[in-house]
Amino acid sequence: MFQIHCPHCGATREEEEFSYAGEAYIARPAKPEEATEAEWGDYLFMRKNTRGWFWEQWQHTAGCRKVFAVKRNTVSYEIAGTWTLAEGKELYLKESEA
Amino acid sequence: MANFQPYLQSPLVNFNLPAQTVPADASQKVRANELPLLGYIVLRGELADAAVAQAITKATGLAVPAASRFSSGEAGVLIWQSPDECLLVTARAAVPALLAACADAFAGLFAQAVDNSGGLTTVYLSGVEHVTLLRHLGVYDFESVEAGDAVSTVLGKAGALVCRVDGDGVFLVIRRSFADYLWLLITKAAIPYRFAVAKLPSAGKSPFLRLVDAGSPAKRPVAA
Repeated sequence: MFQIHCPHCGATREEEEFSYAGEAYIARPAKPEEATEAEWGDYLFMRKNTRGWFWEQWQHTAGCRKVFAVKRNTVSYEIAGTWTLAEGKELYLKESEA
Repeated sequence: MANFQPYLQSPLVNFNLPAQTVPADASQKVRANELPLLGYIVLRGELADAAVAQAITKATGLAVPAASRFSSGEAGVLIWQSPDECLLVTARAAVPALLAACADAFAGLFAQAVDNSGGLTTVYLSGVEHVTLLRHLGVYDFESVEAGDAVSTVLGKAGALVCRVDGDGVFLVIRRSFADYLWLLITKAAIPYRFAVAKLPSAGKSPFLRLVDAGSPAKRPVAA
């Protein structure tokens, strides 16, 4: 019901062309063998479920089939911007530090 | 299995389009017909990389298209799909030679050419109301599709590539597995527009239609 700008196609398209791909930038434990069960459980199952601004992944399934990052407000559905995963990660890290 | 004789047939073979085909006339506001059994080659490789772009041009003789555009020439039509993927639509008979040329040109590069001729087909949709019909089927702003554009979007529940060569009509590149569904969807939605399965216009210089003449008969034995 909203429009998303695909950073790979450089075009703004209807939501119908995209699929939701979950929360963005979930870090995999650096040493999976040494991770405790609680850490591994967090990585696999625990999600932020934010009310407000939220970094998430969308895939342009009907277009370029690429996954990219979207910063969206889960209350108002407003979209702050869309980036390729690499570009978005810098912004995400800067924001999460602040 | 000694008696098994593989043969080519169009994904729309059960609609028996050749038998339904009538001459095109102005009263048909939406016309459609299939361009059966073309060749489709998927080219993967970072298009922004000059070496990959040059290799594609060397193998196919076609310029690498800009985003959501296509380029055309002797070998066929090269359609942009994503920053690292193009689709080459060509005559079925030209596929083996082009695959070999691509394999040659891609040597040493992180790029690949894959034959997907069995997976896709093309439908030509024309007539004065063909854009209206597309608006029945999909959410994209189809009026903004200009000559040279290749838009990948959804029609009904299935994905399709919408390519416009000129104002007369669009070429829909669709998946084999959804061809049945999309054809039924098109024919049903087009009933109010005096739909007809019309004879394809003469090829002339049209980059897509030209490929049909160089293509294959509807049913042809192939070497096993």
